[in-house]
Amino acid sequence: MNRKPSLPAELLPAELLNAEQGVSLWRDAWLRLKRNPMAVAGGAVLILLALLAVLTPWIAPYDYRAQNLALGAAPPSAAHWFGTDTLGRDLLTHILWGGRISLAVGLVATGVALVIGVLYGTIAGYAGGRVDAAMMRLVDILYALPFMIFIILLMVIFGRNILLLFLAIGAVEWLTMARIVRGQVQALKQQEFIEAAVSLGLSRWTIIRRHLIPNTLGPVIVYTTLTIPSVMLLEAFLSFLGLGIQPPASSWGLLISYGAETMEEYPWLLIFPGCALSLTLFSLNFLGDGLRDALDPRTAKD
Amino acid sequence: MALLDVANLSVWFHTRNGVTKAVNDVSFSVDAGETLAIVGESGSGKSVCCYSLLGLVPMPPGRVEQGSAQFDGRDLLHLPPRALRALRGNQIATIFQDPMTCLNPYLTLGEQLMEPLLYHRNATRKEARAQALALLDEVGIVEAARRFDAYPHEFSGGMRQRVMIAMALIAEPKLLIADEPTTALDVTIQAQILRLIAELQARRNLAVILVSHDLAVVADIADNILVMKDGAVVESGAPQTLFARPQHPYTQRLLAASRRSPKSTPATKPQRETLIEVSALCTWFRTSDQRLVKAVDDVSLELYRNEILGVVGESGSGKSTLGRSLLQLVRPTSGSVRLRGQELTTLGARALRPLRRQMQMIFQDPYASLNPRMSVFDALAEPLLYHGLATRKTVTAQVLALMDDVGLAHNSIRKYPHEFSGGQRQRIAIGRAIATKPQVVIADEPVSALDVTIQAQILDLILELVARHNLSLVFISHDLSIVRYLCDRVLVLHHGKLIESGTTEQLWKHPREAYTRELLAAVPRLA
Amino acid sequence: MLRFILYRLLQAIPVLLVVVTATFFLVRLAPGGPFSAEKAVPPEVLRALEARYHLDQPLSAQYLGYLGDLLHGDFGPSFRYPGRSVDEMIFSGLPTTAELGLYALLIALVLGTTAGVIAALRPNTAQDYLPMSAAMIGVCLPSFLLGPLLLLVFGVWLEWVPVSGWGNVPGDKILPALTLASGYTAYVARLSRGGMLEVMSQDYIRTARAKGLPEWVVVIKHGLRGGLIPVVAFAGPAFAGLLSGSFVVETIFQIPGLGRFYVQAAFNRDYTMIMGTTVFFAVLIVAFNLLADIAAVWLNPRLRHQYRKPAA
Repeated sequence: MNRKPSLPAELLPAELLNAEQGVSLWRDAWLRLKRNPMAVAGGAVLILLALLAVLTPWIAPYDYRAQNLALGAAPPSAAHWFGTDTLGRDLLTHILWGGRISLAVGLVATGVALVIGVLYGTIAGYAGGRVDAAMMRLVDILYALPFMIFIILLMVIFGRNILLLFLAIGAVEWLTMARIVRGQVQALKQQEFIEAAVSLGLSRWTIIRRHLIPNTLGPVIVYTTLTIPSVMLLEAFLSFLGLGIQPPASSWGLLISYGAETMEEYPWLLIFPGCALSLTLFSLNFLGDGLRDALDPRTAKD
Repeated sequence: MALLDVANLSVWFHTRNGVTKAVNDVSFSVDAGETLAIVGESGSGKSVCCYSLLGLVPMPPGRVEQGSAQFDGRDLLHLPPRALRALRGNQIATIFQDPMTCLNPYLTLGEQLMEPLLYHRNATRKEARAQALALLDEVGIVEAARRFDAYPHEFSGGMRQRVMIAMALIAEPKLLIADEPTTALDVTIQAQILRLIAELQARRNLAVILVSHDLAVVADIADNILVMKDGAVVESGAPQTLFARPQHPYTQRLLAASRRSPKSTPATKPQRETLIEVSALCTWFRTSDQRLVKAVDDVSLELYRNEILGVVGESGSGKSTLGRSLLQLVRPTSGSVRLRGQELTTLGARALRPLRRQMQMIFQDPYASLNPRMSVFDALAEPLLYHGLATRKTVTAQVLALMDDVGLAHNSIRKYPHEFSGGQRQRIAIGRAIATKPQVVIADEPVSALDVTIQAQILDLILELVARHNLSLVFISHDLSIVRYLCDRVLVLHHGKLIESGTTEQLWKHPREAYTRELLAAVPRLA
Repeated sequence: MLRFILYRLLQAIPVLLVVVTATFFLVRLAPGGPFSAEKAVPPEVLRALEARYHLDQPLSAQYLGYLGDLLHGDFGPSFRYPGRSVDEMIFSGLPTTAELGLYALLIALVLGTTAGVIAALRPNTAQDYLPMSAAMIGVCLPSFLLGPLLLLVFGVWLEWVPVSGWGNVPGDKILPALTLASGYTAYVARLSRGGMLEVMSQDYIRTARAKGLPEWVVVIKHGLRGGLIPVVAFAGPAFAGLLSGSFVVETIFQIPGLGRFYVQAAFNRDYTMIMGTTVFFAVLIVAFNLLADIAAVWLNPRLRHQYRKPAA
């Protein structure tokens, strides 16, 4: 028994091969997204930033540890495009390396949140009844906890451990994801096409896989895109306070924190890392907003 | 000169995808004490036509291209916004379709009711309150004083529509525009509301524009009927002449859809082989505030091979829950459901799965009953492949055969639900239901979300398929004229109980229960 | 309504208990004792210290003792500053932080809602794009970046305001309050725009217009209430965010508030101070969430109805 119907281009009779190809909702969303210049620009910048982050070890103009105490803090010049810090280290190099960390924190912690949140939300939403009530009560309680303070506490107690940072941030962000997914699943479960699938005799897993998940994906994608910037912000925030990434590792939050201390004499040390962070946040938010508009089922109708 | 004289009105929508001529060169007039009915299907421009008079059409994208609308000597289309606003709710009042969404859920009824007086008449709150209470009494809200400070969610749909009517009439307008005022209501409530509007009209010498999709609803009360299609008037005239000699083919089709002949007794008597046997079935729920709802209460019935069994009832009668309980989509609280002798209520989900092939369902809302991310091919191939009724080699041919069966063009096989109209979507849903070659199909209000002429097409399709595939059909509906047209036998549900059953002819000719009689009397019909 | 408040108060108890317990045991899990980071301490001094802070007792007794003290509002003595109690330190920083937080909250709510509503009235026009672009900047320029930038421009270059301090010179409160408020103002603006757009497309707004009400009545009386529900729901979490935001702002502007104490305590490993402030913040946040919930129920009659006694 074959349980997997799929688009069978090869199975279509010849005269139907050029039958109109329908516009699936995904394709429709993509077409809409392409019409949004801000979202496209955001996406392009993100791709560029990701490339830079991956290629940093080969393209960074100076060695990460290289100091030039004689040079000291120098303003931007041909040799050092973004200037140097008080120890004569090249700022561009440090922004590149810091970007790797900041982006990695954003991606990994969001990944943690995504996995926990989607699983938890789907289970609660699909199970319904008492299981759902209990699971959501737990989320409510966790929501009411002052998480930022707990993260700071964790960082203080266990030292500034980057792995712990991923986990701690991921642990905060999954709550909203779980709520969104659960709400989606609950709304979908009431839809008649799920009932239709049940009455066709499909198994529970088939229904989840073929009917439920594809329809929750839109909001999940949107929320994921919007979680990455808030996670990056959280990391930068903690690093700024001196509770996140520790030297000699670097991150944009840490660079901004140094820059803020010395901004009166060396403003470029604040402005360039600030621009890097803001540019990334702008891109992610514009892309996220664009995705939301493109994937919103209400605008997708008719 | 009539109270309202609309001449050559055109309202077009200018969007990125081009120009939609929502209203095109429409003229009509209505005088005090008269009722003008505008009849048309969705997209015919009947609502836009009325809203444009009130300045309630969003502009842009809408634009009044031409025309005039003389009301009391002033052209509504060219009044400055402020002057038009002073007329709205004051000289010209409106009632909308869905009373559930048209009242502000955050404000008390009394507050909303008084507003026209407060803003148009500069009445004090005390005066406004007194008038509002008197009017609530007039529209049939009992204990008006106690309910004055209640919120809309504490009222039923019919009650809310009464409040809407009171709100429309409180400033004593000359013209009342009623946009599908009873479409969202049960048939018995519909009759009450229509009667109320007619009474109030006579008492106040109101001019009324009644917008509806249903010729039968307006037949009794309209002095003049305007039939609209695609933004233009196709025919107009007094009901008697219009019904006697419809000129335009579209009017003829509308009339035919409203004038269904009752089902003629089938030439061959259905064989009395019992397919489904239900006894003492109860499906009870607990609501979130712990109230026990007996949605289906002690219902017993049989479904015979090759028959069409109608289940009628108003909203909340439990007819949908009954259908879902038969299929075990909702698990009954007690009682038994047997499919050809096999008890279903005690079977686990896994054991039920292979049996589900034999019983399928057609749902009400073709917009919600199809997975928006599956193409026609995916939707129809899934049941075939899942139940091993097709192989990868044969599946395309079988899907195409199904599409032939339900009247879908082959070249739409790769399209997605949102690219189809409501009627076509229902065809896909029907195709999916018959894909597994079921013996029993349960259709839960399969045409109530569709336009009248489309309804007729889908009903004919269902009849054809029932005959071709030897189906037994349970047809759940609130629309008695459709049930009469389609069904061999009918069950009447009221508050979860089965109160009467019999052959369609029997029931129509000799209803035993008072409720059944009331229900039948409330059905609007064309003379 | 009273039922609802009582119900939510009862719900707050487990939350607070989780906070206290987690904090207590997390601190005890810290590698090394509270005094081990110091230079070698003579054993007898260590023992005396441990006795003073009840560290010689079994963990369960310490925990229960701490809970008991908390019930009396006693957060215990500070580890770092002998002779000063945590209560004393909290209450010395609280007024400053409360004032800062209050200004920021007011700015965020008033400015944010106004901008959001204005934008929603004419979507996809300049009236929409302008405030929403500003809001996007607010979202993407976090306080720890905006604060130093504002200081650089207005403090260092233009010299309009002093670069640090709180309440010493007129006007020195403006920059910290704006910095703290910016992100939340932006968020509130986006939320209220979304909420208003949703509400203004509802059927009952059309009814209100059909009644011939002036447009401002339609917007304020019929629209605003529903449109602000998402904002109110956000106000509770926003307050929590403001508190932690005050850590940064107080650090940047060198304001002697609770947030700065907390960050200092974290660096100094002043465990009782950390525990005390954590619990104190938790109580504040829980209280604010409760207030926000009450406001949401008050705004929405359908919710109010739910919590009324079921009719007999």
